[in-house]
Amino acid sequence: MKILAIETSCDETAVAVVEDRRVLANEIYSQILLHQKWGGVVPTIAKRAHQEKIDFLINQVLKKISIDEIEAIAVTQGPGLAPALEVGIKKAKGLVGQFKKKLIVVNHLEGHIYSPFVQNSKGNPKIEFNFPYLVLIVSGGHTTLVIFKDHLQYQVLGETIDDAAGEALDKAAKLLGLGYPGGPVIERLSKEVNNQDFFHFPRPMLKSKTLNFSFSGLKTSFYYFLRNNKARKIDLHSLASSFQEAVFDTLIKKTELAIKKTQIKKICLVGGVSANLYLRKKMRDLVKKHQGTIYFPSFRYLTSDNAAMIGVVASYKSKKGLFVSDINQVDRLPRMSL
Amino acid sequence: MKIINQLEFRTIIKVLKKGGLVIFPSDTVYGALVDATNKEAVTKLLQFKNRPPGKAISIFVADFKMAEFYVAIKNKEKKILTELLPGPLTIVLPSKHRTDRRLESEKGTLGIRLPLYNPILRLVTQYKKPLTATSANLGGYSTHYSIDSLLKQLPKKKQEMIDLIVDSGKLPYNKPSTVVDLSEEKLKILRYGDLNFINTKTWISSSPRQTKMIAQYLLKKNLFFCRSKPLIFIIEGDLGVGKTIFVKGLGEALTVEKIVSPSFVIFYEYKIDNHPFAKKLIHFDLFNVSDQEELSSLKIDSLLAPSHIIVIEWGEKIGEIFKQLKEKGKVIYLHIKYQKNINRRKIIVNEVI
Repeated sequence: MKILAIETSCDETAVAVVEDRRVLANEIYSQILLHQKWGGVVPTIAKRAHQEKIDFLINQVLKKISIDEIEAIAVTQGPGLAPALEVGIKKAKGLVGQFKKKLIVVNHLEGHIYSPFVQNSKGNPKIEFNFPYLVLIVSGGHTTLVIFKDHLQYQVLGETIDDAAGEALDKAAKLLGLGYPGGPVIERLSKEVNNQDFFHFPRPMLKSKTLNFSFSGLKTSFYYFLRNNKARKIDLHSLASSFQEAVFDTLIKKTELAIKKTQIKKICLVGGVSANLYLRKKMRDLVKKHQGTIYFPSFRYLTSDNAAMIGVVASYKSKKGLFVSDINQVDRLPRMSL
Repeated sequence: MKIINQLEFRTIIKVLKKGGLVIFPSDTVYGALVDATNKEAVTKLLQFKNRPPGKAISIFVADFKMAEFYVAIKNKEKKILTELLPGPLTIVLPSKHRTDRRLESEKGTLGIRLPLYNPILRLVTQYKKPLTATSANLGGYSTHYSIDSLLKQLPKKKQEMIDLIVDSGKLPYNKPSTVVDLSEEKLKILRYGDLNFINTKTWISSSPRQTKMIAQYLLKKNLFFCRSKPLIFIIEGDLGVGKTIFVKGLGEALTVEKIVSPSFVIFYEYKIDNHPFAKKLIHFDLFNVSDQEELSSLKIDSLLAPSHIIVIEWGEKIGEIFKQLKEKGKVIYLHIKYQKNINRRKIIVNEVI
């Protein structure tokens, strides 16, 4: 069954057509340049940009696969920015009505969870599902540890109680005057000093035995450190690197605790921050230590938001007949949970 | 000694009227309650607590009117009193000697407690006379948050002195009340509890837990506004200072769990269950918002309805909308400031009229 998927939960407008796990067409318009000058994602600007781009992107994929071949429309229902989600949902409902298709709603986080298993149009990579997996979703909006038990079955083990890891990196970058998005700049600066930890900022929540994360205390001590050392000229590299290390070390230690607790050694690292090569290396080392297997999103574009992963989740939902019965009941869910 | 799990006020009042000693929960710890005007009852309490003479014991009152009958309140103090109470505070004022004199200090002052805690308020209101407000532990021992721990500490003889125990389970670990002396020229803090301040507009927090308590205190004092208009907290403060912690505190008091930073999505909306008139908590974070056009398109004005509690982090960015908020809602403007000590925060509160 071919499915056209739409994703507008945050600052990427994305449309894709998938069949099973294979991506037949994929379009993404990134709004990052629009938001850069604001230093963060601005909801109404995001909404307007989604509105401006979505028809164009849909037309692009429909040039490759005609609307007649498509049986269902999938859309991200949440979590995400309310005004942004609204654009995709409205468009999906419109297509469902106009072309008499079925509707499937998808949780954005499910998309990320499936991202290591997404295939290109030729069906590569050919990774078979071998449940269960331990998934760490890390992005600007989420830091969540999940057991991926079986298709469409998840158990949340822990999540952030305040800021997401990517958000913490963005805020640190802002304090350092590095602009938005902060994560990639911090990654680059850190790499230039070999990711050394110069200042040993506190590792939040490591004492707690839960699998929850918290980054607000780290933010506080970073703020104090900058304030108390105003006079000293500390170079940005060492600050960025030490902060990033504190965040990543926390992610690694919590993942290790989850491995010990669950005895699951197949680890997926997904979400925007999984694009960070240093975090990948740390996670690879951890998994090696436990003689497990590591999975990342199967293609680079799958680390950030995209509609392909949403379409793949929708494929599995369609196999279980999980279509929306009354489209009027579908509304955006900005804080949708798994 | 009898133990009950329900607030059977008639039973409790009967025991108190006979001069009985009742162990009762409070907003801080389990307390030992007797009729503060009954000589025999007070004698019993002093024996129970092994209280040396001259060491004062405070009283619970039901309202300001009852307070005025038992302590002398001048106009200046009255203003401070109404700003601070009700809350987890003991206010020391000159006694009018209408309660047992042994409850007073050597200077003839008396501490009054008007807690934000319904069971106590209802009990004192129905009893129509003040009750002693002292912790249920023996002198020199630690305080109790559960009946189990109390009974473990008490020798049999002491247990026999108790007429009635009202067990309401494990209380949260709140410190005993902050004691404020208003009987002299200058306001003096005699004991620090969880709710500490420099003056009635400036609160001091030494931990995330205390920040949450200050949030809950301010919420409870202002929640009634929600019946007729939105209650709005605007919070200003640097990164990591504890703004979201403050909101988590509000959330806990409204049984809203799992509040996280909304910076990434600008705002989250939470439904409040089981509250008679507060229905929604809306949590904004304007960290990523930078111009007026952007702000106006958030349509904050459409959320300005009674039964809504709206919290706005990075509220200093609110700009022109502030006027609208002020007209349509009750606005409380907070500034949370870092202090030299890394754990300490100053919370400056301004009610906008």
